[in-house]
Amino acid sequence: MKHHINFKVNGDDYSLAVDPWRTLNEVIREDLNLTGTKLGCGTGDCGACTVLLDGRSVSSCLTLAVSVNGKSVMTVEGLAPSGEELHPIQEALIQTGGIQCGFCTAGMEMSALNLLNQTLSPSETEIKSALSGNLCRCTGYNQIVEAISMAADKMRDNAAEKEEQ
Amino acid sequence: MTAASIKEKQSLIGTSVPRIGVDGKLNGKALFSNDVAPKNSLWVKALRSELAHAKIESIDIKDALNTPGCVAILTAQDIPGNNSFGIINKDQPLLAGSKVRFVGDPVALAVAISEDVAELALSKIHVTYTELASIFDPEESLAPGSPFIHEKGNLLGKRLIKKGAPELAFEKADVIIERTYQTTCLEHAYLEPDAGYAYFDSDGKIVIYASTQNPHYDQADVASLLGLEADRVRIIQTNTGGGFGSKLDLNTQGFLGLACYLLKKPVRMVFSREEAFLCTSKRHPLKIKYKSAASKDGRLLAIDVKIMGDTGAYASYGLAVVSRSAIHATGPYEVPNVSIESVFAYTNNPIAGAMRGFGVPQVAFAHESQMDLLAEALGVSPLEIRRRNALRLGSTTATKQELTASVGIQTCIEAIAPHYEAIRNKTNSKDSKKLKGVGLGCMMYGIGNTGTQNPSTAQVELQSNGGIVLYSGAADIGQGSSTVLIQIVATELGVGAEKITLVNADTGLTTSAGATSASRQTYISGNAALDAARKLKEAILTEAATMLKANRKKLYMKNGNVLDSSGVDSSVSFEQIANKAKREGRPLKWQGFFDPDTTPLDPETGQGKPYATFAFAAQIAEVEVDILTAEVTVKKIIAAHDVGKAINPESVKGQIYGGAAMGLGFALMEEFIPGKTVSLKDYHIPTFSDMPPVECLIIEEPEPTGPFGAKGVGEPALIPTAPAILNAIADALGSRIYSLPANLERVMKAIHSGASKMKFRLNQ
Repeated sequence: MKHHINFKVNGDDYSLAVDPWRTLNEVIREDLNLTGTKLGCGTGDCGACTVLLDGRSVSSCLTLAVSVNGKSVMTVEGLAPSGEELHPIQEALIQTGGIQCGFCTAGMEMSALNLLNQTLSPSETEIKSALSGNLCRCTGYNQIVEAISMAADKMRDNAAEKEEQ
Repeated sequence: MTAASIKEKQSLIGTSVPRIGVDGKLNGKALFSNDVAPKNSLWVKALRSELAHAKIESIDIKDALNTPGCVAILTAQDIPGNNSFGIINKDQPLLAGSKVRFVGDPVALAVAISEDVAELALSKIHVTYTELASIFDPEESLAPGSPFIHEKGNLLGKRLIKKGAPELAFEKADVIIERTYQTTCLEHAYLEPDAGYAYFDSDGKIVIYASTQNPHYDQADVASLLGLEADRVRIIQTNTGGGFGSKLDLNTQGFLGLACYLLKKPVRMVFSREEAFLCTSKRHPLKIKYKSAASKDGRLLAIDVKIMGDTGAYASYGLAVVSRSAIHATGPYEVPNVSIESVFAYTNNPIAGAMRGFGVPQVAFAHESQMDLLAEALGVSPLEIRRRNALRLGSTTATKQELTASVGIQTCIEAIAPHYEAIRNKTNSKDSKKLKGVGLGCMMYGIGNTGTQNPSTAQVELQSNGGIVLYSGAADIGQGSSTVLIQIVATELGVGAEKITLVNADTGLTTSAGATSASRQTYISGNAALDAARKLKEAILTEAATMLKANRKKLYMKNGNVLDSSGVDSSVSFEQIANKAKREGRPLKWQGFFDPDTTPLDPETGQGKPYATFAFAAQIAEVEVDILTAEVTVKKIIAAHDVGKAINPESVKGQIYGGAAMGLGFALMEEFIPGKTVSLKDYHIPTFSDMPPVECLIIEEPEPTGPFGAKGVGEPALIPTAPAILNAIADALGSRIYSLPANLERVMKAIHSGASKMKFRLNQ
């Protein structure tokens, strides 16, 4: 029997009837056609499917769609919705060269945002630890660490500027 | 060419132009292979053998066909063309007909309205097998009386290389070191599981979107499977989430083509992670018996190497690994007397094929361990013995190829030497529980396919609006070849990178660039693109000379205009030139071609010129071994790579960082155990926490035949890392590991062996 769920994705309201076994990943990708969120393993081992659920990162491949009823999901498509101005994490990933094939990138961005939602002064160890569930086979990680650190600096500066105003 | 003109030309060369396509990867809009299929597509799933070797007696599909929503069940008898494919040897059936040869061999396809229904239908197919004796060891496979896996027998191939008189040299040697090295089966573990989508277009062509490293090969083999002319099949590469060699094979393309062709409906397929693990190619496990001889002054006199490889159930790229592992067995050293034999056998293990380095990472582990053992026996430093033997201009390789240019190994060694000495001077206290060690790894790598023609083609077109389009068949799988090709063409035509539109890796719109493999796209496809750009440039300058009534030799290109350098204030734009040429019927699309200068190897002696150029590298790894837990922490990697010319330095560094990570995995943790390993839960690749800082030292010994002097770096990046780490562990413990990976058990054994040699105290 299908279950009715109401939830937000990137600020937009959705109302869907879903089978109880379907994952959030499948619903986002197949029903909402938001294919920026990837499926790398389906077992929670690679982090490519990471999204934010009420502001905290989860593996969308291990999250049942019915469990997000009443909650708010953010995917990579919501990171810089206008498309004109890049999010500091995105800007920094370009600057450091932290993207190669790009398949892990969306998950990396969401995990990075999860960390930066908690602290804007993460140490290198904190960055590595916060992203240790995200696998990348191309970059060797160092440029991604550098990017997150750079993004944190930028976001801290932005926050300070806002405060001054 | 004058110095000034070279300078002018190189404006974008050596510049880290931002990669094309990154925006889509950052905002989620880039479409990968599982993102393209429309909703009405049927789902294709494969039923795979659970037996390693068995005769198929019958396949009963009645129950499966009755599954509501199941549209078709396809088996070998439905394949209209030639049911065998493979890039070198066509020995692999798309669907097993008479027998299965490994766990994972596909026997049937279900096509259904959803993935769930397709899976349900698969579970209702009844296959009756008669199990056959299975072989999991290559030596056993070649033993007399072993059951045949293929009708032709179990030998995949053999490569012999003979140079000088090794027997004599071994008699005269001051030091002989003989050891056996074993490497294991490895999984590529690209993040994007294989997927794709196929449909019939309005011209009746089958169009297949796929995650691939070689669209033009895919096209030929899919057409052959379907019994069609190649032009009835069009392959379009989607964004490809890593490949590392495994996406050179037909993983989903054949299944999609078959289902689409027979059902005349759009179809999609996506591998589960488990399927991507079990059914796609692996790195060949090699057993390497290595005997080296040196004189007391530290010169290599001879090597005798016997390599035994397990190619698994089907050939894939196995033959390339047979030869490449043999040719590279000397490492980047001049060895006057050589005897190398490389023999690979079929077994009922998973298919082993191309994986970043084609056998060279395995042999580098052996030759670099041997160098350290020789150094120890002779009482010279590991650095010094490499200096004395490293190839230089005029050296000859094992295949008696004389190296006449771009031999950067000495420069790489000198670049890392001060770092090595600085780290080496740190000493371990006898009571320390964390022992530091430092190790070196050196390598050479032949760019392009081995001793065979492997051309690339490209076209560059001037459009009537003055824009430039580059057409290349080269698949960018994340390494950055597209950006490099654009930089090359833009530089030649004197425009910014943003002025070039790239059309690539679509067999409907581009001609073959060959495979994205063997670190060949920058060198070979870069040259093809450069050749096309030069021809277009000639055409543009010729038009301009007529239009400006100027001396053609005095004309130059800048920002989409042709200008006169003789002081006359006149210019004409690309747009004006394009319009005139078009009106007057002269072509503005020019084709470029490049095939590296190679010769085939002699079958008896292995002599020949297998590669037109080689990349070189030297790396240092600094490690810390916890002698209580056997945990190895890599503290730092320093990597010097001779790439000829770094066209895009950030991309070169990206390859080196990523290669070092893959090398670290190969050294310490990665092992695919057939029958046991099924997912990322039991196959560990390096994570954020495992990676140390990596320092890149880019060395540029220009290759005269390379585009702007460039060679390649994709595979070289990985090769020296594992040897450097293993040598560092040996340095820390005074005891050496001969089988990869150096997991906790092996390191603990080495700790006990080191302690027993009184190198350090294990217990207080």
